[in-house]
Amino acid sequence: MFAKDAGVTPGLVEAAVLPRTTEEVATCVRIARKHGLPIVPRGAGTGLAGGAVPTEPGLLVVLTRLNEIHDVDEVARTAWVGPGLINLDLSKRLIERGLHFAPDPSSQSASTIGGNFGTNAGGPHCLADGTTVAHILAAEFVTPDGDIVMMGGEAPDTPGLDLRSIVVGSEGTLGIATKILVRLMQNPPDVATLLLGFPSIEDAATTVSQIIASGLIPAALEMMDQPMVQAVENFVHAGYPTDAVAVLLAEITGTPETVLDGTNAIEQVARRNNANTVRVATDPVERALLWRGRKSAFGAVAQKAPDYYLHDTVVPRTELVGVLTKIYEIADEYGLDMLNVFHAGDGNLHPLVAFDSKESGKLETVMTAAKEMVRVSVEAGGSLSGEHGIGLEKRDLMGLVFSEEDLDAQARIRDAFDPDGVMNPGKVLPTGSRCFDAAGVRIPT
Amino acid sequence: MGWSTEHHPRTDALESCVTCGLCLPVCPTFRITGDESASPRGRLAAMTIVDAGRAEVDERFGDVMSLCLQCRACETACPSLVPFGEAMEGARAEVQAQVPPRGSRIKKFGLTTVLRSRFMLRLMTIGAALFQRIGVLKRLPVLGVQAKGLRRLPLPVRSAAGGSWGAGDDERPVAMLLSGCVSDVWFSPVHTATVEVLVAAGYRVEAPAGQTCCGALAAHGGFATEADEMAETNIEAFASADVVVADVAGCGAHLRTYQRLGARGSDLAAKVRDIDEVIAEAVGDGRLPTLDPRDEDVAIQDPCHLEHGQHANTAVDKVIAAAGYRPVPIDRGGLCCGAAGVYQLEHPEMSSELGERKAAAFGAAGIAIVASANAGCEMQLRRYLDDGVRVVHPVELYAEALRRRR
Repeated sequence: MFAKDAGVTPGLVEAAVLPRTTEEVATCVRIARKHGLPIVPRGAGTGLAGGAVPTEPGLLVVLTRLNEIHDVDEVARTAWVGPGLINLDLSKRLIERGLHFAPDPSSQSASTIGGNFGTNAGGPHCLADGTTVAHILAAEFVTPDGDIVMMGGEAPDTPGLDLRSIVVGSEGTLGIATKILVRLMQNPPDVATLLLGFPSIEDAATTVSQIIASGLIPAALEMMDQPMVQAVENFVHAGYPTDAVAVLLAEITGTPETVLDGTNAIEQVARRNNANTVRVATDPVERALLWRGRKSAFGAVAQKAPDYYLHDTVVPRTELVGVLTKIYEIADEYGLDMLNVFHAGDGNLHPLVAFDSKESGKLETVMTAAKEMVRVSVEAGGSLSGEHGIGLEKRDLMGLVFSEEDLDAQARIRDAFDPDGVMNPGKVLPTGSRCFDAAGVRIPT
Repeated sequence: MGWSTEHHPRTDALESCVTCGLCLPVCPTFRITGDESASPRGRLAAMTIVDAGRAEVDERFGDVMSLCLQCRACETACPSLVPFGEAMEGARAEVQAQVPPRGSRIKKFGLTTVLRSRFMLRLMTIGAALFQRIGVLKRLPVLGVQAKGLRRLPLPVRSAAGGSWGAGDDERPVAMLLSGCVSDVWFSPVHTATVEVLVAAGYRVEAPAGQTCCGALAAHGGFATEADEMAETNIEAFASADVVVADVAGCGAHLRTYQRLGARGSDLAAKVRDIDEVIAEAVGDGRLPTLDPRDEDVAIQDPCHLEHGQHANTAVDKVIAAAGYRPVPIDRGGLCCGAAGVYQLEHPEMSSELGERKAAAFGAAGIAIVASANAGCEMQLRRYLDDGVRVVHPVELYAEALRRRR
């Protein structure tokens, strides 16, 4: 039951433990070391890249029980929390203090702060606020030796090498965060969410570019294509226009004046680009329903097929239309059922291929097409992963963006933390990243 | 070996899970344990490996399935629209067929024989009512805690089944009341209020004598064959209804699952309404009045099988408002109260943990009247709330207000 996360690849679990304290985590690590078991930390298992899936029989350290909010400092706007705390629970429990935790991945109702930390998670609102690394100030960290250390600190800037920014996004390969100091943001006084429907992808993409070019930074700017909108609407019944070829969801936050101006500006740009649906939601219930639709997009794909494979590439905004066109062509060429939902504002694409892994050869076809889609994005000046992490599933594509020297440098950092390669082995870095890589040799390929 | 009955979870239902995990935070047992094997996704994974022939239905499988409350909150959260409740009933049927746990025979007798026998239910209720009156019921081991949740049991014990009300010469729509099993004898005041309100709304009301228990408890327990028999009996009994009304959310939710039994089952399922929906609609189109406002709050509890099983929980807000009170939903979107039919007898620790949490949310609001549209939840709330709090069905509040006006 712990063998899989929300991705497609199952792993090998020797044992799973559910510690309740930092000391118990450290003990688990030491016991695993004594018995030569690899160690894989896991939160809610909502990751899409296999980051919490052991590639060889290992000890799964499940952190869901470390879910406390230890301390909230309203003046400094920080909180010490357990890694097992659910992202949205933190913001919900801070609502009366007018604060929230900004990173809001689609999985935020289920995913944990520890998981967000591990993958340096993004989300719709990271367009304006930055990804998780910008919201983590410090972490209590169990090293691969079972020692408990502190990374970063409560002071705004700690001296020395910024180890905090190295461990955020390290996907459990450097150790386990057991207590995390997060930055809290003030809830905006006013919010409006715009739902815009377009007759073509080009119109929607041009709208995105023009909004950003106009100097506006919406809190979020999201796009869905028609198949995705139809699947989502079927579940959420939020009034998404199922006849539109592309739908944008934009959010403006700030003072009432800023929100009104921003809303008008976006509406004008949208209408100039042939928008046939323009709806402005200011009511919290209506807004929540629209966002629920966007954030359940991945799961809604199951209405099409039992499995899906998802990409997480980033392309420059100006290349959106070109890259998307090529990606649709690739899907067509391989006869694949594709849906698109993505963070248009920062060019973070999530082409999603729905398929049935029981059809023989289908998974291989999907993977081959996937690799081409990544290549197209990278060639357009983009990146391999925006926010989901590399994990297992994107590992062997790292060579597309990094040179051997780059990979070697990353492997050296990893060795410095974990010379024996016991922490989440086989993840992030492809086999043989280090020249004469000892850890690489034992990774099953 | 895999499955052994025709009731097993359907492969296409299991495949519709893409393991996204959005069900985890709404699952009461996952929230309390943090354990994947106590989550909907984990349970579906266990069913899936059996379905694929890679594991057996063994005692461990039985334990994993047994901890589920069948609240169906995961269905509401699921963007893949996995029919989890149905899959879980199938898995339980397999457990009963292959590895029946201790006490299964007694459980089966209770849920499939006693609940179908008006005679036995009545006998049992008379005994319990006498015990309650001499004050020993609360002091019994195990059952004592349960007894705290009971209303004062009626003596003499009456059944609504066979009754007919509001007959006139005009052609009125016929509302048929599901009188139910335990609710028929323990919650007769709720039925009385339901009948009163339905007649006032312009229905001719019948409680067909040929009906039986809806079969929810049997189906949840894994006695699928007997549950299907009960469903067939009811499909027959309610065939001529214009609308079938349930005033226990768990029963109404289960009647709606009769669509699994072909065209006649679907016909019946489509006619099922919770009494709160009927009232809200009748108030909306003027068949029932909105009564004088009273300066008083009523705390509303959302039964899982009204919210997740029937998507009708907000109708209660309208009923309370129409009765003249200020509706105050408590812990809306929160976790199950832990009642879950006979679950509280099988998993008292989990049940009481959830009951305490729910009671804490209500306690914090400090409202003297609590409305719950499900008999099981009502008893659970009464068990954990302060003695001074009045726990009542929303239809009773509306009927009282209606009576006051007359």
